[in-house]
Amino acid sequence: MDLIANILYDTIYHSTPVILLVIGGVYAYKANVLNIAMEGMLLFGAFSSALMILSTGSLFYGLLFALIVNIFIGLIFSYFGITRKGNVIIVGIAINLLTSALAAFILKVKGMAIINLSEQVDIASLKVNIPLIKDIPFFGDVLSGHPITTYLTFVLIFVLSVVMFRTKFGTYVRVVGENEEAAKSIGIKVNLIKYSAVIVGSLTAALAGYNLAIERLALYTNTMSAGRGFIAIAAIYCGRGKPKLSSIYAIIFGLAKALAINFKLFAGPISGLFEAIPYLVMVIVLLMASYLDNKNSWKRGYPNE
Amino acid sequence: MKKTISNILNVFMPILLAFLIGAIIMIAIGENPIEVYGILIEKSLLDQKGLLKTIHTASPLILTALAIAISFKANIFNMGVEGQMLLGGFFAGVIGFTFEGLNPVIHITLSIIVGVTVGILFALIPAILKAKFKVNELVVTLMLNYAALEFVRFLAEGPFRDHSSGYVSTPMISESSMFKRLFESEITLFTIIVLIVFVIMYFVFKKTKLGYEIEAIGKNRDFSEATGMNVGKKIIIIFIISGALSGLAGAGHMMSDQMRFTMSFSGNPGLGWDGMLISLLGMHSPLGIIVAAVFYSALITGSESIAVFTSVPREIILIIQSLIILFLSIKMISKNAKAVAILEKITNKILRKDNKGVKK
Repeated sequence: MDLIANILYDTIYHSTPVILLVIGGVYAYKANVLNIAMEGMLLFGAFSSALMILSTGSLFYGLLFALIVNIFIGLIFSYFGITRKGNVIIVGIAINLLTSALAAFILKVKGMAIINLSEQVDIASLKVNIPLIKDIPFFGDVLSGHPITTYLTFVLIFVLSVVMFRTKFGTYVRVVGENEEAAKSIGIKVNLIKYSAVIVGSLTAALAGYNLAIERLALYTNTMSAGRGFIAIAAIYCGRGKPKLSSIYAIIFGLAKALAINFKLFAGPISGLFEAIPYLVMVIVLLMASYLDNKNSWKRGYPNE
Repeated sequence: MKKTISNILNVFMPILLAFLIGAIIMIAIGENPIEVYGILIEKSLLDQKGLLKTIHTASPLILTALAIAISFKANIFNMGVEGQMLLGGFFAGVIGFTFEGLNPVIHITLSIIVGVTVGILFALIPAILKAKFKVNELVVTLMLNYAALEFVRFLAEGPFRDHSSGYVSTPMISESSMFKRLFESEITLFTIIVLIVFVIMYFVFKKTKLGYEIEAIGKNRDFSEATGMNVGKKIIIIFIISGALSGLAGAGHMMSDQMRFTMSFSGNPGLGWDGMLISLLGMHSPLGIIVAAVFYSALITGSESIAVFTSVPREIILIIQSLIILFLSIKMISKNAKAVAILEKITNKILRKDNKGVKK
């Protein structure tokens, strides 16, 4: 029972940053801009918040700084990918490399290998215990005791889903993605919508970075994003850009990661192999989603995604 | 003429701009960029030993760049070059240290065959998923890179760990599987193998039906399919070639440079990613790739000197590299820009003068 509770708690724990990336990333996806810079935005969100907290000691300033910096990165991405019509995949790769290079460079200049925030941030005090729920056996262990961003994330799934399907902005994003010419012809500012869609993603990526580096570990390292941005892209693909469905795929990743971590303890010498499992699970999930999509399709050829 | 000039400008402008921003960053941290760039060029291109080292460093990069070029040309985003290269290099290394006292020719050939085979097998996963199930290859290969990295980490930490070493590392490969150094420099026979492979790939790109088909798929996949080309089969062939080149790059890097597998085998950001920049810089054309590879490796060898002779962190080169990719992603100068027209006039004048000279 304890093990199951642990696994479920860890599932929520590991899903959170990926869900955040997913629910922001779906906007760019729906606007037909493939944003693989999510990886770099996540890393830089983590880096900038950690750097700010190191110098000011204030969590709020850290988060604020991460949000501002990520808006800036989103603007760079959008300028090159949307205004100047560069290949968004290449722009994304460039942003990913640039963010990790900048973070590594700044750390070197400051003479640090990592940013350790154990003095500024007390992780235990950031965990919120929900009254009443925390006393329920089993469910209390699973649902209570997460940092505030985690709860916010699960609320945001529904908020951003409503924004996508029930508001003017969401409709515009989808129209722009489905038929840019038509959107232009009825007077929608296509580029403005695309910019905003990308920036929604960079904001949630900042939040994800804050969650990853500050709330979870009070630590920043140069490799801490570990492909989560790409996993989010995979989840978005599987969920066809629907916020709720894509979040479920993000949770599948979280579950795979939680299972791998919890069963690692029993695996002995082959425990190292378990690290690869979450990534392989995503490949299998992609395969299944794609298979189901194309099963009844009569169309030949390879859609240029 | 206009197109050639704007093409050339579109490669050089990003480089200049990236170096300019690099200079601004260096000034911001209180260093002298002219001195740093001076050392960068002097130690990597102007000095004989440095130049040979640059060529040595370029060797595996030419292969990974070709691996990227062949798939990007067909509009297939095979990001898995890094993972394919890692696995190829690792298993070539395993053959390298398992056998001892073999005939060097046999040993090296065997290691290369294993490296290439592993690269191909690993590339077949996304290839089959793409060709048979239409799974997006970009995301799959990105995922598989991480899986490959964790897999070799597991092997290097566990079954194949060299316990006499203080950090995670496999044993040193045996003498008989190392490429011998030539001309008392870092250059080995591997560089010559790379050049042979390059010539073959040049013909594949320019002179064969496959090269033409790759370009056709890249230009319009649906049209290629409609004209009766079996695109699925071609995609698998493209991935196989890509995987073979990556595997060979890894094997060669192992046997000519690293000699043992450590977690920093591929460097930062990694030979596969470096290959992508080189391929972009060379506009996915073979000749462009070779020039870009030498330029890029000069940056790498030069960055080592920067770390030795100045107090600027070598990560500045990583920043410059990523800025180059960013600026390369767009057409900075259009065919109709004023600067192009002016340059055209100037080149025309020079050419006309030359023509007159010949006539006289």
